[in-house]
Amino acid sequence: MKAIEIKDLKFRYLGSKKPSISVPYFYVEEGESILITGKSGSGKSTLVQCINGIIPHIVNGKRSGEVYLFGEPVSGQRVPEISRIVGTLLQDPERQVINYKVEEEIAFAPENFNLPREEILEKIEESIRAVGIENLRGKETSHLSGGEIQRVALAAVLSMDPRILILDEPTSNIDPEGTRDIFQFLREEKGKRTILIVEHKVERVLPFVDRIVVVDEGEIVLDGRTDDLINEAHALMELGIEIPRHILLANQMGITSYDIDEVRETAKQRNMLPEKKVRIHGRGAVLSTDVKVEYREGFRLRLSTSFEEGTITAVMGRNGAGKSTFLKALIGFIDKDQALVESPINMGELFLANPDLQTRGKYIGYLPQSFDLMLINKTVEREMHYSSRVRKANGMEPLIKELMNLFTLDKFAREDPLTLSQGQRRRVAMGATIAGGVKVIMMDEPTSGQDYMHKENLGREITELKKRGYSFIIVTHDARFVYRFADKILVVDKGRLAMEGTPEEVFQNSEKFGIVPPSEYLLRYGNELLVE
Amino acid sequence: MEMNYLLNELISWLIFLFGIAGPFYLILRAIGIRGFKEITSYEPHTTFFYRMNPLVKIVFSMTVMIAATITIWWIGAILTFAVLLTYLSLRNGGRKLYLGGLFAISTIIGTAWGYAPFATSATLSIAFPGYHPTILWTWPSYFSVMGYEPQLTLQALLYGLQISFRTAAIISSALLLVMTNTPSQILRSLHKFNIPDSIIFTLMVGMKSIPDIFGYLDESIKIQMMRGLGSSHSRLFKPVYMLIAGVSAIVPTIIHLLRGAKDIAISADTRGFRATKKRSYVDEIPITRLDYYALGMMGFIIAVAVISIFLGFGRTIPYVA
Repeated sequence: MKAIEIKDLKFRYLGSKKPSISVPYFYVEEGESILITGKSGSGKSTLVQCINGIIPHIVNGKRSGEVYLFGEPVSGQRVPEISRIVGTLLQDPERQVINYKVEEEIAFAPENFNLPREEILEKIEESIRAVGIENLRGKETSHLSGGEIQRVALAAVLSMDPRILILDEPTSNIDPEGTRDIFQFLREEKGKRTILIVEHKVERVLPFVDRIVVVDEGEIVLDGRTDDLINEAHALMELGIEIPRHILLANQMGITSYDIDEVRETAKQRNMLPEKKVRIHGRGAVLSTDVKVEYREGFRLRLSTSFEEGTITAVMGRNGAGKSTFLKALIGFIDKDQALVESPINMGELFLANPDLQTRGKYIGYLPQSFDLMLINKTVEREMHYSSRVRKANGMEPLIKELMNLFTLDKFAREDPLTLSQGQRRRVAMGATIAGGVKVIMMDEPTSGQDYMHKENLGREITELKKRGYSFIIVTHDARFVYRFADKILVVDKGRLAMEGTPEEVFQNSEKFGIVPPSEYLLRYGNELLVE
Repeated sequence: MEMNYLLNELISWLIFLFGIAGPFYLILRAIGIRGFKEITSYEPHTTFFYRMNPLVKIVFSMTVMIAATITIWWIGAILTFAVLLTYLSLRNGGRKLYLGGLFAISTIIGTAWGYAPFATSATLSIAFPGYHPTILWTWPSYFSVMGYEPQLTLQALLYGLQISFRTAAIISSALLLVMTNTPSQILRSLHKFNIPDSIIFTLMVGMKSIPDIFGYLDESIKIQMMRGLGSSHSRLFKPVYMLIAGVSAIVPTIIHLLRGAKDIAISADTRGFRATKKRSYVDEIPITRLDYYALGMMGFIIAVAVISIFLGFGRTIPYVA
């Protein structure tokens, strides 16, 4: 039976001239697992919102055609009614959890359906077991890690026992262990219900799906079995989809296996293994510090390290390990009433003992994860000039012009930064941070929720800036990004520096700290895991 | 002469700016965003306020509001202090009292300052029988464009202060509800009042978002400071720059919240919110003996308020229209 059937669907957002999604015909059989992928803004989320009824019931626009769920048209049902059939897990775990306690959150949907108390209790138990969160019983949702909240949100969706489950970029904002748990769930659920998963992490999802659907510019441009992917790998790359390097190599070598060891062996025999990455080191410290943070609630961080000039250092580790705390302590973001903070900084001849924001901000730039919060000016141009204006710094014009050019911001100079796309806003925020004249830039999870193209662009930009002498300290969960662009990794675990070294050195033993080595690294070094 | 004129202008503007920035600065620096989050967030505990039915606490807030509104200002002041003292029974009671106290002070300063420059002689004559103004400061004449009275008097400040206790009493009691109940407990209680689910849900999301709002504002303000705002001026002006940063932070914070609000709405609607007219609850919150005691106490407060009115301690302060 067809779980989902789409006929002549077109949807255009208000104010938009072009349809955001246009699907002449598409169907999903009951029990199928499908990966929907495509670059940011391609129309993936619009497609699933047409399926779960968000469009046309919550998001307005011009819609034609119809979506049928088990033969029933979506347009004839209210969203709460549709939710009896379709469960939806969203991207950001913290934004979708409403209740205070884990059990309250899971009970939210059954309570909405006015189920008897005994039945609600049963649903809570079943959902907790299905997702494996027995250890989270009785806990407060605000105290959970990103991965834990996402699993609670998943349990809350499962409490409705939906026949169709939509997971809309469920792992974008969580750490590798949380991601692994979500994918473990997918493995167990495969075939039990119809699953649509929207994801950029093609590499991780492939083993758990039957079909892959690629959306580009609002249209389904590829719909095939996962086995066909190998033949389409290069075409998919051109569409901005992150394809595992070993699949690309297999395609190039004309072999039909996804097995990384097999691909590696063949590549080794044919002398086609990827080049070793060049890591920069030995340039001397641009910043060294010995950070101590003691929160009133008990969490402690103690981390002593240094960063080299003109390098990219990635700070990795599980959610809650202390990575963001480390950055915030360095820049002076932690309030005195929150924690005891000592974060002396040595930058050559400069020694900064006092964690004063205004002083440190002169030498170190910080780009938060919610970078929109820094966009306070009416035009991009004013945003770029902000620091030089408020600091009354002269002679910054050439740098600002250079950055406007590097981040391709010239054409948006007169536009309001908050009206730009996510990628453009990120570039404005980054450019404006550097335009303050800083040489060390700290970025908190800049790869979170970004698609392959955005990450590649970010990598290229920071590599270019690195060549010009800038140093980057980047908190990220993205091992592939780190392998491709970072010179060094710091692994933070339980508030301590657990490992430090080049990506090649760290990925040898990083799994015990929740960091899964990327396939690109495994393809190059295999299971030998030797530092060359 | 010229010098005096300039000095008068300067001091007038300083009073104006610090009057607005003062309470804001007190919230940001003395209480801190973290502290503000603490007094607007639920933390589990077992003392009587946590065991009381949320509905009874809503009635308690309304009782305090009525008593503070219909009686003389010092009854409002006593209620404010009495409610604040009950904070000692909460989890981390001493700290809650400290933070709540500072918040009440900032409310009192803010409200008093909000009223004082605008209080007319006519209003003050009603508030203070035999009114003889004690002039503290004369504003530049063009301040009248902002609605300022020509002079700031001691009576105007006292008048503002008296009004402020009404606000402070209401806010202090409302915070008790927020600090001792989860949003879903309040949802359950309000549902029994047959209040429409959409209104309850809005309140619930609001309660959940309040701590986030201050977190985002804090981050945006800190980023502006980090980028150099106010760094080329004396530290004396920091409160003013904090205010400027706070105002600038409003738009990005609202946009950030709105982006999140859409997700919350989708999260609720795709989980059957308003699927049926009735809603069941996994945990019923009963009315216990403790709630009856509390209701008795509220009856006592209302009785005291009524007796006070008969004794001539009714609403002696007129409100500025």
